[in-house]
Amino acid sequence: MRTALCVLGVALATAFVISVGAATMRYTAVIKEINVLFSGQVVVVSKDSLVIQAIPIGGSMLMQNRTESMIKEIPSAEKTVPILFIIPLGVTETSQLVPPNFTMGIPVDDWHIILGSSSLEGNAGRFPANESSQEVVVGSSLAGQYNWKMGTELTVKGYSLNVTGILDAKVALLGRSIIMPLELAQNIYSYNDMVNIITVKPAAGYSQKELASAVRENLTYVNALTEEERNDIIQPVIAQVEMWNQGIEMVALLINLILIMNVMVMSVSERRRDFATLEAIGAPLNYVFRIVVFEASLIGVLGASLGIFFGSLSAVVLASLFTSIPLVQFFGGIFDLVPPLYILEMFAGIVIFCCVGGIVPALNATRTRIAEALRAEY
Amino acid sequence: MKIETKNLTRIYQVGSSKIVAVDDVSLSIDEEAFIAIVGRSGSGKSTLLNLIGLNDKPTSGRVIIDDIDVSGLSNNQRRKTRLQRMGFVFQTFNLLPTLTAKENVELPLALAGKPQREQEEKALKLLDAVGLASRVFHRPKQLSMGEMQRVSIARALANDSEIIIADEPTGELDSKTARETIGLLSQINRKEKKTVVVATHDEKVVEEADTIYAMQDGRVLGTH
Repeated sequence: MRTALCVLGVALATAFVISVGAATMRYTAVIKEINVLFSGQVVVVSKDSLVIQAIPIGGSMLMQNRTESMIKEIPSAEKTVPILFIIPLGVTETSQLVPPNFTMGIPVDDWHIILGSSSLEGNAGRFPANESSQEVVVGSSLAGQYNWKMGTELTVKGYSLNVTGILDAKVALLGRSIIMPLELAQNIYSYNDMVNIITVKPAAGYSQKELASAVRENLTYVNALTEEERNDIIQPVIAQVEMWNQGIEMVALLINLILIMNVMVMSVSERRRDFATLEAIGAPLNYVFRIVVFEASLIGVLGASLGIFFGSLSAVVLASLFTSIPLVQFFGGIFDLVPPLYILEMFAGIVIFCCVGGIVPALNATRTRIAEALRAEY
Repeated sequence: MKIETKNLTRIYQVGSSKIVAVDDVSLSIDEEAFIAIVGRSGSGKSTLLNLIGLNDKPTSGRVIIDDIDVSGLSNNQRRKTRLQRMGFVFQTFNLLPTLTAKENVELPLALAGKPQREQEEKALKLLDAVGLASRVFHRPKQLSMGEMQRVSIARALANDSEIIIADEPTGELDSKTARETIGLLSQINRKEKKTVVVATHDEKVVEEADTIYAMQDGRVLGTH
């Protein structure tokens, strides 16, 4: 019974670490990967925007034509791409920690800048034909959730939109996005001639840093961020999240260690006669030592296995609760949420800590005085 | 196996007081003998058996096995001697509760590094010899007291021990089972030519013994 409770204790601590660890790791991974979309570009946003990687959160809009034409006059700027990025938070969605979907409006000629190597699912379908066509491409995760297929008619703010392709996106943000021509997005959301991001490619011979400072000098109402600067903004936050994660892991591992040590000390003291018998019939001390450490590690293996199983399940449930994405969609990609390497690391860490927790009781067991233990009443 | 003790003394320190459990005991146990050590509880019988069985170290005096003084042996050498040459039978049987009867008997063989097949064959043979062929896969909890003691005797014989040291082997048994156990030990002594040393209150054991040492307050009072 006590051993079963100990296994349960180890399993609970492990499940807690796994669920919290997996959920936060996923968040940081998603945040980190956003910058991949704008690789090699300087991102220009309104000065009062809070930027998470390349995505402006809040802040004023930029006048598209005026801002673009001013940037184009800068010699170190080669190419500009205006983007309207919408996080559609409705009244019922404001309590969501993670928005369930995004809308991106991009000029049809420049889609390759954002979509990079992403292709359309099954190599079928096509990107929207022109700026005025009421056609969209949707991310595979979003399409899976709502069972959207090529040819599906979507209604967004009263506009009827035709799905021309499902984007097979490697980046989570794109997987949850509805991507449409810029002009269409501006019309739907009533942001005529307005965007909130302009990506700028440096001209040959200029670095991102030089381009960004030139943009900042010429346009006082914008903030221009290089790839490195965008990473720097998020780095302290990610580092802090990772530090908290490691702290929680360490606390859970220490709880496991103390739990195992207590249970094994009690177990050894109750079985002193058994150990004395073993030694009396000729068992070497290291045999007794190994028995106790083996038992401790077995508790670790069972506890870690149960904990990883239930922790992974709760990570899926947590992710689903926070994002409103159905559970089934996460089950398919459970190893994206709880990476196998993380599972292995946690499993090894717990088993090692449990082994270490068994060392003191094992040493206790080897110090059994045979004559005394055999004489004692238990 | 011939065992002698010379002025064997064992003193326990309990708090600030000293308890002399065995006091200047000199005795001789001949090869293939059946020895009974009798005396009241606390007379020092078990302590003497632990000293003879190398489970404890004397405060002073010597234990000599086959003319070799073993008092100065290292813990590892004492362990090896116990494993290869001695078998122990305890009053409370001391079988490992998680192992079956067969596994309990196999244990000394496994510790001696015998191959698995040999362990199995030997354990089955010994359990058959003590009348437990049908209880091989039972755990101690599923066995009666008498059966547990017979498993314990089979375990003591596993490594062809030269001496069986039994501490109150009939202490927990009813009279019928106690008689059977004594008969088994006597049989082992006569047929298998093993030395048997038994600490006991039981008069039936005394009747079977070649030599009886009577103990009181840690001293051997006399020999019969």
